[in-house]
Amino acid sequence: MAETHTDETHKIYLQPIPVRIWHWLNAFGIVTLTVSGAQIRFPEYISILGSYKSAIYLHNTAGFVVAISFSLWFFYYTFVTRTMANLYVPKVEDLKSGILRQVKFYFLTYFLGWKNPHHPTPDNKFNPMQKSVYLAIMFVMMPLVSLSGIFLTNVDPLRGLIVMVGGLKLLAGLHFLLACSLIAFIPTHVYLATLGHTPTEHIKTMWTGWEDELEEEDHHETVNDNLATSR
Amino acid sequence: MKKYSLHISLIPALLLVMLWAPLTVTAMDTDDCLGCHGDTDMVDEELFIDAEGFLHTVHAEMGCDTCHESVTDEHPDDGEAITSSACLDCHEEVSDEYMATSHAENATCNDCHDPHQAHGLEAVSGTDMNQQCSQCHENDEVLSSHAEWLPQANLHLAKLPCITCHTSSDSYEVLLNITQKQSKTKGSTGYNFSTYADLKEYSGEKEIQSLIDINEDGHISLAELRTFNLNPAYKKLHLSGTLVPSEASHDLSTLDNRYDCTFCHAAGPGSLQTSFLAFPNATGTYTRMTVDEGAMLDTLYGTPNFYMTGSTRSASLNIIGLLIICGGFIMPIGHGTLRFLTRKNRQH
Ligand code: HEC
Ligand code: HEC
Ligand code: HEC
Ligand code: HEC
Ligand code: HEC
Ligand code: HEC
Ligand code: HEC
Ligand code: HEM
Repeated sequence: MAETHTDETHKIYLQPIPVRIWHWLNAFGIVTLTVSGAQIRFPEYISILGSYKSAIYLHNTAGFVVAISFSLWFFYYTFVTRTMANLYVPKVEDLKSGILRQVKFYFLTYFLGWKNPHHPTPDNKFNPMQKSVYLAIMFVMMPLVSLSGIFLTNVDPLRGLIVMVGGLKLLAGLHFLLACSLIAFIPTHVYLATLGHTPTEHIKTMWTGWEDELEEEDHHETVNDNLATSR
Repeated sequence: MKKYSLHISLIPALLLVMLWAPLTVTAMDTDDCLGCHGDTDMVDEELFIDAEGFLHTVHAEMGCDTCHESVTDEHPDDGEAITSSACLDCHEEVSDEYMATSHAENATCNDCHDPHQAHGLEAVSGTDMNQQCSQCHENDEVLSSHAEWLPQANLHLAKLPCITCHTSSDSYEVLLNITQKQSKTKGSTGYNFSTYADLKEYSGEKEIQSLIDINEDGHISLAELRTFNLNPAYKKLHLSGTLVPSEASHDLSTLDNRYDCTFCHAAGPGSLQTSFLAFPNATGTYTRMTVDEGAMLDTLYGTPNFYMTGSTRSASLNIIGLLIICGGFIMPIGHGTLRFLTRKNRQH
């Protein structure tokens, strides 16, 4: 099968190992945090994890794992591949026309059967819409949720700072709402991941690292496009 | 109700006391006794009694000689030893309860209570109560033994009176105290209960209660709490909260359900509805004022510095959170439906 395919498909190595490790640790971690966090906030209704104490311990451990894997992600893109800015920060043309083009695709031309105007390469993985959303999540929400979580695990020693921030209640409220936003991101994220050529295409890529790239006539334009932006 | 039965049980004792009174040979009254015993120039340190503190207790109404019956007019020159009545003469119910516990072998009433500074539960702060225990139970040891099973043990022990976990009570209530940053002492985070003098600096001419109870009706409303918390003039004052038993009991023991965090960290019916704010008195005791029901559950400004996960969550935040999460399903459901309906367009 694979051999016959190589003629017409061209595979690119899109997701390097550190990124895949981070991604699945993060995904598993966030699901764990969601379930244990729900039990911590609503102990009368949710008791999947047994005792309250085990929910707390699990939540704190998962939070720790997610924070570590976040650092892995940050370190890898900033210092190893040095593509952080390039990948995650939207460029001027992304903001001017890119986002609009992508929104038009997702909400209109996709239904008409057109092709995705964005074509991922290792240097330019995300479409302009993805870039802005990931930027908000990875540079604002994740750091804030981790930071507020770290504060909540050290209330007594950090009391002075907590009071300065506006109080324990504000901190817990912020943590909760950020968590809800991250939870809301999950169904959207998973759903969008099924919009490849086949529903599982992107998901497989996140597991194996390789993405199939179909060589088709109408792709020339976008490929050149990408070469231009990645230089 | 408990108090009522205590009174009844006291009647015989008091009658006895009244009968005795004419028989005692002394003409000295409380003021005379305090003339010497309230003055370190007259008596040794260990015989000193803080007069100001004593006179504000219910025991003061009985007078010194009620408990020290054998004192004579010639005291101290007669060199006679003076009797001191036992607590259980009058506090039968409490004594029976306490004597039945194994802790009775470890500590007597006087180890925890100074008969000359006896106060009710409402008049004593959690910190002062824990002071009684820490005479024998070293803070460091208690911290390390509790940290074995209690996350953030330092936070819990700093906040909670020991008796919240180590005695039983039918119900519990939230107690708020005004705290402020004070010079850091060893082992504290620098936040201590404001004293009467501290608060007087803020209230000036007026009663310190008026700092929070703005309309001076002897009750604190949610609006008044919010105003206090948002007032920039009181930026240095914070309300810290804790959970205390509604009535003091003496069945000192380790209650199994205290291992269960949801004893405190869950919003049962009615829990955390009743709350009080304790204002310090000039004498070092406290007077409570009632607070609106459910004020602890206010989203942000009711009690910004009191939050117990699971039990003080606000309903409005839950609704906002739910809406956000529902927002996450707009894409899958809305887009997914259109995707399904237009699937033919994508078949090449
Ligand atoms: C003139 C000062 C003076 C007055 C008035 C006085 N005391 Fe004393 N009291 C003393 C001194 C001095 C001692 C220590 C005597 C000793 O060590 O022998 C003492 C000792 C005591 C003791 C401890 C005795 C012991 O056996 O340990 C008690 C209890 C006591 N006083 C109660 C009272 C009471 C009650 C009154 C009022 C009815 C009173 N005193 C009035 C000076 C006074
Ligand atoms: C409710 C009962 C009660 C009353 C009222 C009372 N005492 Fe005592 N007092 C005691 C007891 C009990 C002790 C013994 C304490 C101990 O052994 O630790 C004592 C001890 C003392 C002592 C010995 C030193 C000490 O503190 O242990 C002095 C002095 C004394 N009382 C003075 C007074 C004076 C003066 C008054 C009135 C102002 C007074 N007492 C009122 C119960 C009482
Ligand atoms: C002569 C009787 C008598 C003796 C002895 C006595 N008490 Fe009391 N005590 C009273 C009375 C009366 C009250 C007020 C009852 C009430 O609050 O219902 C009281 C109240 C108290 C209170 C609560 C104070 C408050 O403000 O509510 C404490 C604490 C207390 N006693 C401790 C002790 C201790 C400890 C002893 C032993 C050293 C002791 N008492 C000995 C009569 C006595
Ligand atoms: C291990 C410490 C300890 C011992 C021992 C102890 N108590 Fe208490 N007691 C407390 C604490 C803590 C409180 C609540 C705070 C306060 O009122 O001081 C209290 C409160 C009280 C009260 C006031 C109750 C109320 O409803 O306000 C009385 C009365 C009392 N104790 C009597 C006694 C008597 C009598 C004994 C001896 C049989 C005794 N206590 C032994 C710790 C102790
Ligand atoms: C006069 C000293 C003394 C005071 C005051 C005192 N204790 Fe104790 N307590 C002891 C001793 C001694 C033991 C037995 C040794 C141990 O377990 O540390 C003990 C044991 C205990 C235990 C374990 C009992 C068990 O069944 O396992 C608890 C809980 C306890 N104390 C709580 C308190 C609390 C709460 C206070 C304050 C309200 C207090 N103690 C005040 C001396 C004291
Ligand atoms: C959150 C509830 C809670 C609070 C607050 C709390 N305890 Fe405990 N404590 C427990 C439980 C539960 C145990 C039984 C732990 C065990 O058996 O390992 C215990 C055990 C103990 C013991 C016996 C074990 C030992 O350490 O030797 C002592 C003594 C004790 N506590 C004293 C205190 C004192 C003093 C305070 C206040 C400073 C306090 N506790 C506050 C829940 C609490
Ligand atoms: C007796 C009541 C009580 C028990 C039992 C109790 N807690 Fe707490 N807990 C509190 C209080 C009070 C606070 C401090 C709230 C504040 O600082 O405003 C707190 C704070 C916390 C916090 C810090 C986050 C927050 O809500 O501010 C955590 C985490 C926590 N508790 C976990 C636990 C766990 C796990 C257990 C069981 C092993 C437990 N608690 C048992 C009363 C309790
Ligand atoms: C590094 C990340 C995180 C850390 C360190 C952390 C830590 C904490 C802490 C300390 C608490 C208080 C109870 C406790 O001590 O366990 C808490 C509560 C909670 N957490 Fe997290 N957390 C993190 C991320 C998340 C994420 C990603 C979610 C969900 C997507 C989440 C959901 C919740 C919820 C719902 C609560 C209950 C809040 C409340 O009662 O108000 N957390 N978290």
